[in-house]
Amino acid sequence: MITRRELLKLSTLIGVARSFPASAQELAAPDYKIEIAPVTLDLSPRHRLKTVAYNGQVPGPLLRLKENRPVTIEVANRTDRPEIVHWHGLFTASDVDGAMEEGTPPIAPHSSARYTLTPRPVGFRWYHTHTMAMSDLTRAQYGGQHAFLLIEPRDNPGRYDQEFFLGLHDWGAYLLPSDDGAMNPGYAVATINGKAMGSGEPLRVRQGQRILLHFLNSSPTEVHWIALAGHTFHVLALDGNQVPSPRSVPMLRLAPGERICALVELDNPGVWVLGEVRKHVQALGMAVAVEYENKVGMARWEQPPDLIWNYEQFAAVQLTDSATADPIIVPLVFESKFRGHGAMEAWTINGNSYPNAKAEPLILGQRYRLQFINNSIDDHPLHLHRHSFELRSLGAPLSAAQRAPRKDIRGIIKDVVLVDSRTRTEVEFTANNPGATLLHCHQQNHMDLGFMMLFDYA
Amino acid sequence: MPDRLTNSWCNRFFPLVAFGCLPLLAHAQANYEIQVYGAQTVPPQTLMVELHSNFTVDGEREAVDGVYPTFHQEHETIELTEGLSDWSEVGFYIFTSEQDGHGVQWVGDHIRPRIRVPDSWGWPVGVSLSTEIGFQRSAYSTDTWTWEIRPIIDKSIGRWYFAVNPALERTLHGPDVNQGLGFAPSAKISYDFTPVVSGGLEWYADYGAIGNISPVHNQQQQIFVVADLNVSPLWEINIGVGIGATAATDHLIVKAILGRRFDWGRHSPID
Repeated sequence: MITRRELLKLSTLIGVARSFPASAQELAAPDYKIEIAPVTLDLSPRHRLKTVAYNGQVPGPLLRLKENRPVTIEVANRTDRPEIVHWHGLFTASDVDGAMEEGTPPIAPHSSARYTLTPRPVGFRWYHTHTMAMSDLTRAQYGGQHAFLLIEPRDNPGRYDQEFFLGLHDWGAYLLPSDDGAMNPGYAVATINGKAMGSGEPLRVRQGQRILLHFLNSSPTEVHWIALAGHTFHVLALDGNQVPSPRSVPMLRLAPGERICALVELDNPGVWVLGEVRKHVQALGMAVAVEYENKVGMARWEQPPDLIWNYEQFAAVQLTDSATADPIIVPLVFESKFRGHGAMEAWTINGNSYPNAKAEPLILGQRYRLQFINNSIDDHPLHLHRHSFELRSLGAPLSAAQRAPRKDIRGIIKDVVLVDSRTRTEVEFTANNPGATLLHCHQQNHMDLGFMMLFDYA
Repeated sequence: MPDRLTNSWCNRFFPLVAFGCLPLLAHAQANYEIQVYGAQTVPPQTLMVELHSNFTVDGEREAVDGVYPTFHQEHETIELTEGLSDWSEVGFYIFTSEQDGHGVQWVGDHIRPRIRVPDSWGWPVGVSLSTEIGFQRSAYSTDTWTWEIRPIIDKSIGRWYFAVNPALERTLHGPDVNQGLGFAPSAKISYDFTPVVSGGLEWYADYGAIGNISPVHNQQQQIFVVADLNVSPLWEINIGVGIGATAATDHLIVKAILGRRFDWGRHSPID
């Protein structure tokens, strides 16, 4: 006798994008349902926008999943275009990971599909569309298809009284010429949880509380800097993975695709602004009020004088030897390709754009060190699907004149890392999840124009 | 911006055309700033300094109506443009001329405010509107005060760039003060051969007064072969050679624009 789980796994093998007959649906009710459909958002009183979202809301519904407890998620695509949902940060199989490049089938227009996942690893993940936008700056990650996903641990990473999930997003993209000689997206509105400053509900808190904030940057292309006036963040986890050295910082930096979990001690009563540090971005709306109980008035902002952030501060204090043999080094050189001053740049990895960018097949169990050599003048948030990696070396300048001895770091586990312009960053991962595995820049316009590479297992 | 003083001079001569004094149109040449405008404006807290150098290799050889001939005139124009906001700027021009027998002469000054449609409006083309008012000495133009309004539309598509400036001009003081608006369009098409080198054509025309368009041979029609060198976001380099296609146009002009952007404001990463 076939069980419900086995049936769902079988359905996965034959393609998740297949619409099930009514009888099959009756046999196996999904644990969650997600509907992809057009929606009109009121980002602010001045900004109404038509987009596509999950279950009619932005961000989409928060999924709280239990570690290693399989779930079935039915996704109905009510749009006229093929869609796909990527489970970002999860150790899934290639055929349900939600990237067509890896072999996950798309969900045809006006049909449904089911994803059966075994949620792991524990931590703050997210899910989002993994389609291409190309020249249409309203589609794919430019739109509203993104949502939080929490794989709940056995033990909470810290004691807290309230938790808030906060999604940073940019809307209304348009192209404008930039100093790199190419066109790049700019934005009309920037929001937290789909609302510009003053348009949504404040975060209501009480003095003495500790609140846990889960930040997600779902922006199609933009890095964001976040501060909470009058308070500091005690960073517990990066990309959902606990850091070896939790630390209090005045602000957070999140590249597209990154997440940060941080505790805040509410010891400074008032009404405060939680928002983008850079004035021009906050002016676009990326802020929300944090309102202490019985406190009223205008939200107060204290402008930080500078942008301060580095990953290293959260690394292990002492280096520990790797448990595995020496890793295989994989150098990956990122460069742009000029397509005219009136176009966005194309991108190459080791001289080739996707799908021609190739890597040697991965060997199961082998440790790899990816050298991200960024020869471009843009920063790039690199994302590895279906695996996590450990940061090992960050921001080494490429020019010989600036080259400094490489500083090894250990213990920071992530699935997105921002590689600064003209620097080299190194990460290590163990090939422990067979199947096609995509590596790409998480900037929508960069992945659209070739900044992707597929690893296959031997 | 094309033939900044040319249009006024054409207007000046238009009544003469009406009376059959066609040779005088050949004197209606003065190329002080030969440029087709793009829609972008200079960013705030930024000063753009440009030097326009134009040499008339083959032009009018005789003084007409007290106006110096253009033959072998070397024009040096300093253009200072300050960004006021993300969508506005103001430009100021100092026109000079150097010529055998006349030495280096100050010709005049213009001021040019400009606004544009912000990028955030998401228009499919770049659009801006400049208006310019200025004075030039009577030795270089009998119309000493002129005003111009210049719509600017441009578009970049991949390696191609298109711009059109359908400018209108009016004389405020001088013989042509009652002539009304003149129509002096210009346009540009260029192609990015590399990230640094773009090449293309620029067209400058003056059709005379609206409602009383000049005959073709009395119109000004110039075509420039140009190259833009995009060596740095801070620098602007444009060079070109232009020929006049009508009797009323200087026959051969060499032009160059050298521009440097200066960010004078305090640019903090938090701004």
